Amino acid sequence: MSTGIELGYAIEKFDGYVVVKLDKKIETLSVKDLDAQISAVSSQKFVIVDCDSVGIIPREWLRTLLRVHLNAKKENKFLKLISVSSSLLSYLKKEGLDTTFRFAKDLKEAMNETGLLPKRTLDTDFINPFLAATINTLKVQAQIKTEAGQVYVKKPQEFIQGDISGVIGIVSDSFNGSVVITFPEKVFLKIISNMLGEEYTKIDNDIVDGAGELTNMIFGQAKVTLNEKGYGIKTAIPSVVTGKDHTLSGLTKGPIVIVPFTTEFGPFFVEICLSN
Amino acid sequence: MFDPKTKVLVVDDMLTMRKIVTKILRELGFTDITEAQDGNEAWARVQLGHIGLIISDWNMPNCTGLELLKKVRADQNLSKTPFLLVTAEAEQGQVSEAIKSGVDQYVVKPFSKEGLKAKLELTHKKILARKSA
Repeated sequence: MSTGIELGYAIEKFDGYVVVKLDKKIETLSVKDLDAQISAVSSQKFVIVDCDSVGIIPREWLRTLLRVHLNAKKENKFLKLISVSSSLLSYLKKEGLDTTFRFAKDLKEAMNETGLLPKRTLDTDFINPFLAATINTLKVQAQIKTEAGQVYVKKPQEFIQGDISGVIGIVSDSFNGSVVITFPEKVFLKIISNMLGEEYTKIDNDIVDGAGELTNMIFGQAKVTLNEKGYGIKTAIPSVVTGKDHTLSGLTKGPIVIVPFTTEFGPFFVEICLSN
Repeated sequence: MFDPKTKVLVVDDMLTMRKIVTKILRELGFTDITEAQDGNEAWARVQLGHIGLIISDWNMPNCTGLELLKKVRADQNLSKTPFLLVTAEAEQGQVSEAIKSGVDQYVVKPFSKEGLKAKLELTHKKILARKSA
């Protein structure tokens, strides 16, 4: 549900909370239906009032917000103001309301404090899109059939060796992580040769960013699937690490799962790390 | 389909992807292909004139494909240049933004020769329809 900003506010309903975005227009408009509109979505536990666009909240609006706050409190729900400027905070202090309302810096902080940010785990829901994307990318872009082996949790002293790796960070509001795809030289050269339609016999500057591009394609497809499920993963740019038998460690703190893949040219590995 | 003599500008920060697109374009008969590493370099090339088709990656440092598209569409002399955006992340919001900014087609990575060919044909049809309107 969303209301017109011509009323001075817009209400957006999310899973477990509503965000009331106040517009600068409230400084000249009378309150209309704000508490009724919020009660219409009263099944939501939390009401977050976004004050980013307002310099002051007129008394009439404050009274309404206070009423919503007190009603919410009675039902063990609550209201929280976010993005409150220092001048607005001073104004609220003057009105004696700075200790009445609860505040948070932004939506992320408000959600964190209220436990609304879901904990994400390295479960099949999270891992499977990367598996599917890896298989599809190699099939479509390199005409190479690949199969995923048994997924397992990386042991503390276990290192995946390879000759070239594509690395990309996973960033969202509620968790971070990384995806690393590590290839032995032989497998990487075969994939790139197929992608570019000419034979490559060594990893050089002409093809080195191919590992980044493969990582980008796999990440991009998985991101679309995961974001449809509400993961909120942001766009990222991959990087490449090369070096005979290199290993990578400590990119992200958190559990890591390894997905071994096989092709007719040899194996390669996808490491997925996630930390809340 | 586009005239194979059409001058095509391929924009991507990844050399490998520029090679893939260029290879497919050559296989489709295009002979005049030029490359740029990001939106800024591409914008400089486009302003020199004669570019008949732009195929640009979306997610690039310095100047993204979307920013390049907006610059092209805002320029009176260049605004009708056929423009394809290539992306690995075809999320609904992004697609809507690209359409709003005037993209002709978007290509989702990974893509095959047939996939790119189909998008080029759709773009060409759209250009013809635009001309006859």
